[in-house]
Amino acid sequence: MTSKAATGNQASAAAFMQRLRHDHAGLSRMLRAIDGMVDRLATQPGALQPVLVEAFAYLLHYQHGYHHPREDRLFERIRGKQPALADILARLAEEHRAGQGEAARLAEDLAAATPDQLRGKKGERVVTRIQRYLRHARLHMRNEEAVFYARAEKILNRADWAEIVDDDGFQDPLADMDALAEEYPELAAHFDLPARYLGQSRKRIGVSRMARHQILELTDLYGGLMHEGFDLTRRNANRLLAVRGPLDLLRAATSITSDSLRFVGQCVARPSRWAINTGSDLLLARIKPAQHE
Amino acid sequence: MVSWQTRTANLLGRLTIRQALKRELSVTDMRKQILRMERFFPDVADDIHIDTELRLTHCDAEWLTPASGPTERVILHLPGGAFMTRFQRAERFFLARLCRAAHARGRLVFYRLAPEDPYPAGLDDCLEAYQQILDSGVAPEHLFISGISAGGCLALALLLKLRDRRIPLPAGALLMSPAADFTDGPEEGSRVDNARLDAVLSLENGDQIRRLYLGERTELITHPYVSPVLGDYAGLPPMFFQVSNSEILLDDSRCCVERARAVGVPAEIEIWDRMPHGWQALSFTPESGRAINRLADFIREHCP
Repeated sequence: MTSKAATGNQASAAAFMQRLRHDHAGLSRMLRAIDGMVDRLATQPGALQPVLVEAFAYLLHYQHGYHHPREDRLFERIRGKQPALADILARLAEEHRAGQGEAARLAEDLAAATPDQLRGKKGERVVTRIQRYLRHARLHMRNEEAVFYARAEKILNRADWAEIVDDDGFQDPLADMDALAEEYPELAAHFDLPARYLGQSRKRIGVSRMARHQILELTDLYGGLMHEGFDLTRRNANRLLAVRGPLDLLRAATSITSDSLRFVGQCVARPSRWAINTGSDLLLARIKPAQHE
Repeated sequence: MVSWQTRTANLLGRLTIRQALKRELSVTDMRKQILRMERFFPDVADDIHIDTELRLTHCDAEWLTPASGPTERVILHLPGGAFMTRFQRAERFFLARLCRAAHARGRLVFYRLAPEDPYPAGLDDCLEAYQQILDSGVAPEHLFISGISAGGCLALALLLKLRDRRIPLPAGALLMSPAADFTDGPEEGSRVDNARLDAVLSLENGDQIRRLYLGERTELITHPYVSPVLGDYAGLPPMFFQVSNSEILLDDSRCCVERARAVGVPAEIEIWDRMPHGWQALSFTPESGRAINRLADFIREHCP
């Protein structure tokens, strides 16, 4: 083979690997989109069901239909070069098959369910299955990236690449938003949203906004008092712990100032206004009962 | 549905950090308190190699490398902490998890802090860290800048500064609740609406933070490198914001996204329900794992 042909072969190998990486970029984008919707499916099935149906249609059509067969060809050649990796490769191929089966079942269930069904137990089961699919898909993708993508270009030769590289001419629909909008209009509209909201999967239990604010204010108040208590203790604990005899006690007692006994801006040794007022009232009532009444 | 772990974190944040920010604590005391809290964050697992050898001129920095074969991707992470302090262990643990999920190497920069080194010292350190990564041979299209809170502000400021100096821009930016508005802010919006709801932050001592960060140069509060919400975002790379609907900083992210999209920059915002500020770094909550997975997805999308 001439050097020109060899260079061309390397270039097509690099382009093939680049395409696999771009497929993973599209897959990551789709997994993130599904993950962002799934926990709200039970509360907003009418709005989210059509988007999820299209998302799984995309996964089945492109990722399982084109991307995984490309990877399977790559893995098959790596298996020939590195038999030690046979087990991991077999597991990844099995994950491709299992993932495709689960995606097909989810697509079918999502399309067949009514919005009311998705609000109930059936919806919760579907959500759990989608979350499990997402977890496996992400892990699977990371394993492929870590183990094989980095090694493939090093261990395969031009004969291997000639077998692997087979331009099916099909591009990821996510690469062109106009094409995506034609084939998957709901998905395209979803990707165009300026903001996404995560969480809020259930209606909040009947605590009014005002009650909620009052609870938070009380928490802040008692949190503040707790800190004041800590500060008061910290200011005086060392002095009290240092007391070993009468002389130390005298020294500790004389070093106490109103500042070291401050709690919420007031010296704790000073009687409160309430105590002074009540005490003076009682005293006055005893001294001059009639006059005071 | 907010998990019980996050609810607990909300309560603890309200009773500790929020109280510290509401009270007039000295910077030294605040740093001491944070050091005590840091004991509850775990160490990075052995599958991440930490290299502290390569420092920056004025500050420490670390390389985090996952054992499981990282790709060419690199994340430059700028920790938060109101420009005066930082949760060193929590940020390191967060970056380790993100590197693992994205198969990337991480560069954690402990930029100089105020009040000892007021603006622009911290931003200069971040710029040096970025330049150092480029000089080491990393292509800008493999590089991401990330930051939480004050780190998010610095990440945005760094993007603006890179663009202004015509230094090649990174592939994208991950911005988690950036404190992007240093001005007094509007008298309505999330800073008012969420003043009670925010489980961590309180702006009662905002003036003090401004004074400490800017030193004598308080007139700089409207400069885009200090308040990136006021910057011109033309030409910046894709940006991904995560913020909670109960944060006082919610509008900072919203405004940044609006400005970015207005000039054609791809910017996305995720608004999470009732999360505490910086929840991505709270490793014991399931929402943290989910947020990190989504950040890793974004990295993979923009650097296949």
